[in-house]
Amino acid sequence: MVPEPEELELLLRASQGDLDAFGVLYEKYVERIFNYVYYRTGNVHDAEDLSARVFYRALHHIHTYTDRGVPFSAWLYRIAHNLVANWHRDRSRHQEIPLSDAPTIHYKGEPPEVAVMQTQERDALLRLIRQLPSERQHLLILKFLEHMSNAEIGETMGRSEGAVKSLYHRTLLALRIEMMESDLDNASLQSQIGQVD
Amino acid sequence: MNSKIKQIADSSLDKIASLEKRLSGVLKPIKPRKEFVHGVAHRIQTGPQAAFVDWIANWHLVAILIAGIFSLIVFLAVVGRVLQSLTRKRRIA
Repeated sequence: MVPEPEELELLLRASQGDLDAFGVLYEKYVERIFNYVYYRTGNVHDAEDLSARVFYRALHHIHTYTDRGVPFSAWLYRIAHNLVANWHRDRSRHQEIPLSDAPTIHYKGEPPEVAVMQTQERDALLRLIRQLPSERQHLLILKFLEHMSNAEIGETMGRSEGAVKSLYHRTLLALRIEMMESDLDNASLQSQIGQVD
Repeated sequence: MNSKIKQIADSSLDKIASLEKRLSGVLKPIKPRKEFVHGVAHRIQTGPQAAFVDWIANWHLVAILIAGIFSLIVFLAVVGRVLQSLTRKRRIA
C-alpha cells in the first residue's frame, strides 16, 4: 500500500495548510471511512457524525502524519478506530438504535418474502459481527469491505501479516460458533452434532 | 479414525468458505448521503472552524471546562464573603 506520487504531493500540501489539497484527500477517502464507521456503529447518524470527526481530527493533526511512516488510509482508519472505541465507551449512556435504521439493500429479482428473510438474516449476522471484539470487527471490515490483503491490514492494525492471518482464522471460527449458538446456522450445527455422534 | 477427522476438517473448511461468502454478501459498501459529504467538504474548506467543531464535539472537555469555571466562581464568591465578614468584624471591634 505505497502512496501514489500524487497523493504524496497532496499530503505535503495539506500538511502545509492547503485546504484544497486536504479536500481532494477527503473526497478520495470519505466513502471508505464512512463505510468503516457505519459497520462499526450500526447506524447512519452516528456514522456521519463520527466520519466527519475523523476528517476534522485528521485536518487538525495532518502535520504529524508524515512522521509516522504509515499509509494515509491506515492513519485515517486508526483515527476512526479510536473514535469508534470512544463512542462504544460512551454508548452505555446512550440508547442503542436498532439496525432497522440501516439503509436497505435491495435484493434484485427476489420475491418479497425471500427478500425479507435475507434482510433479517443480514441484520442478525451484522449484530453478531458487532458483538465481536473491536479488533476483530476492524479486521473483517477491512477484509470484506476494503478487500485488503493481510499485509495491508497488518499495516493498518500495526501487526505482522502472520498475526493478521491467525487473527482472521480465529475470528471466523468465533463467528461460526456465535452463529450456531444464535441459530443463524442451525443446519450446520445439527450436521456437526451428527458427525460428533 | 483419520478419515473421520479429515472429513470433519474438510467440512469445517467448507463451512469457513461458506461463511466468507456470506460475509462478503453482508458487508457491502454503502453510499453516504450527498448532503453529508458536501456539508463536511464545505466545513473543511472553512479550516479553523472545523477544528472548533471537532473540539466542541468532545463534550467531556466542554463539561469539565464548564464545571471548572462554575467551581471557580463559587470559590471566589465564598472567599469574597469570608473576607467581607472578617473586615466587618474588625470594624466592629
